[in-house]
Amino acid sequence: MLESLQYIYAPQIINGLSIGVAVILMALGLTIIFGLLDVINMSHGEFYAAGAFLGVSLMGLGISFWWTLIIVPLLLVPFGYLMQELLIKKVFHHKDRHILTLLLTFGVATILEDLYKVIWGANTAKPATPITGASEVLGVMFPNYRLFLMMFGALLIFAVWLLIYKTSIGSIVRAATLDRNMSASLGIPVNRVYALTFAFGVALAALSGVLLAPIYSVFPTMGKDFILMAFAVVIVGGLGSIKGAVIAGLLLTQLQSLSSLFISPVWSDPIVFAVMVLVLMFKPSGLYAGMKNG
Amino acid sequence: MQMKKIVLAISSVLLGSSIAIAADGPIKIGVVTPLSGTYTPIGQQVKMGLELATKEVNASGGIMGRKVELIFEDEEANPAVATQKAEKLFQVSNVDFLTGTVNSGSTLAVGQLAERNNKLIATTVSFADSITSDKCSPNVFRVNARAGMQSAALATWLAKEKPNANVFYIGPDYEMGRSTVSAFKKAAEEKGAKSVGEIFAPLDNKDYSPYFGQVRAAKPNVIYTSVAGNDTVRLLTQMSEYGVNKGVTLVGAAGTVTSQNIAATGSAAEGYVTGVGYSAKADTPANKKFLAAFQAEFKTQPDLYGTDSYGLIYFYKAAVEKAKSTDTDKVRAAMKDLEWSTPQGMKKMRGGDHQAMQEMYAVKIEGGQFNVIGRVPAEQAIGPDTCTRF
Repeated sequence: MLESLQYIYAPQIINGLSIGVAVILMALGLTIIFGLLDVINMSHGEFYAAGAFLGVSLMGLGISFWWTLIIVPLLLVPFGYLMQELLIKKVFHHKDRHILTLLLTFGVATILEDLYKVIWGANTAKPATPITGASEVLGVMFPNYRLFLMMFGALLIFAVWLLIYKTSIGSIVRAATLDRNMSASLGIPVNRVYALTFAFGVALAALSGVLLAPIYSVFPTMGKDFILMAFAVVIVGGLGSIKGAVIAGLLLTQLQSLSSLFISPVWSDPIVFAVMVLVLMFKPSGLYAGMKNG
Repeated sequence: MQMKKIVLAISSVLLGSSIAIAADGPIKIGVVTPLSGTYTPIGQQVKMGLELATKEVNASGGIMGRKVELIFEDEEANPAVATQKAEKLFQVSNVDFLTGTVNSGSTLAVGQLAERNNKLIATTVSFADSITSDKCSPNVFRVNARAGMQSAALATWLAKEKPNANVFYIGPDYEMGRSTVSAFKKAAEEKGAKSVGEIFAPLDNKDYSPYFGQVRAAKPNVIYTSVAGNDTVRLLTQMSEYGVNKGVTLVGAAGTVTSQNIAATGSAAEGYVTGVGYSAKADTPANKKFLAAFQAEFKTQPDLYGTDSYGLIYFYKAAVEKAKSTDTDKVRAAMKDLEWSTPQGMKKMRGGDHQAMQEMYAVKIEGGQFNVIGRVPAEQAIGPDTCTRF
């Protein structure tokens, strides 16, 4: 019993945790853009891919992995800012905002994916793992880079939560989304806040791309990999809630990880989506709905 | 009277020249191959191989004094598109022979079309065993090695190198993955290997680490895989990340590690062994000559597909010269049991199922290169003739 706990369940749970952190990182930007701007960003996965590709290219120029963690998200900030200002703003006040932004961002995703093929080619690339080797965790060998990813990811998620809920910048952003007109009349540049928030979400996606590239490798359609799972996490956790995204992310990835011990791996995705359907049926707002719940 | 003579002279000249054109006109070979989409790299190799051989044949006087002309159409690796394009080549361009199909479904579909048009086709790429077994066609030939020959070659090598193999199988969960695993499992078990477990992961799986517990628990000393494309990069790099491949011999399907993903897989692919019908490292005069010509022409290395496509032109040339005609029935008869020379050495077209017989190689990735580490004679690799249609 103890042996199976140590050799079968423990590695599975730790593995699930490392995948969980990856999924939460993806869901984080998505839930911020959805929760604050009420925009369904279908191109989130492609910004994740953009981060990964730029990271690989910069490392090819001799820049170290650690610098790319800072440079790549910054490079994408203007892109996200302009996307909100030039494209999304055009349909933002339309009564069919959800449908229109969904279609618009889906179109951007398609264009970006093809653009990556043109620029970087269809072949797979894989950056060298920045931290090699493995350590023993609870009697199981676990790659060092994944340990780093879990710790760094947890810190990052906590920092984003702090930024939005515990700083004056965060309260300005939340005010602008709660009551646009009141905020504007108090002198908050609402449009710029929206564009910067979108850019922040894009930068988070790009950062996840740089972080996850050494594990999942880099190719033009990689944006599709996490996006469905990340959407499921956002829906189960509650749109716009960071706490919800963390809890739902851990829950769903553990479910996937542990269930793959007993049933064919092909069923791990259907299980996740079944949970999503159940949540939509019985608690449509998700576990922790809205920005106000953290 | 004078006028009549002139008309007669003119018409006889015209008629004569048109007859001359018919006799000396080029032999047209239609090529339906993917020039866009996922399989573009394969289509490019097919194109290069065919073009190089055609250039050589034309430079040395063509086939029975007639030049060879290639007419390309993009099949997009889609059987529905392939049949449309093949129909066009048969009906409009009136090609004498057709080749190039990559997707096994395209080859089967175009084969049926060839029967209706009474023309012959050959594939130089498709692996599916069925093309020259239960779905064989009198109008379809295959010059490349089929999947069964690849796994037979690998199993033979494994039985010799690892007599007490405990094999764990990891395949993608769809038709190709399941059939490659079951084919190799059968071949390996016949030669004494023991199967200790198997996992079928979804296609485009992100993370294989949740399955490594099961792999470790089964304590294999050989891991066989038939994943492909990006899945290969992830599976192999994650296995080395977790050290699952330590002390394990890694073997797999020929399509698992390719020029497309070997760079990204990097050192995680070291030591991978597979069974194939061609290696650029094969140390024979025929191969060296071919390699030099190919690199001079295209500034890149030929792979399996380019080489087999190159060999196809010589196969067709040998058949037409033996038949002394491009007539379908005569050429078909000439192709039966025909032996011809290719960069891989002599190949023989088995008359019973239209499957080419050839020596197979076991190759191992060492320093990012496929090195030949074993050879399996054609007779041991080919397997029984199970075609019953002709």
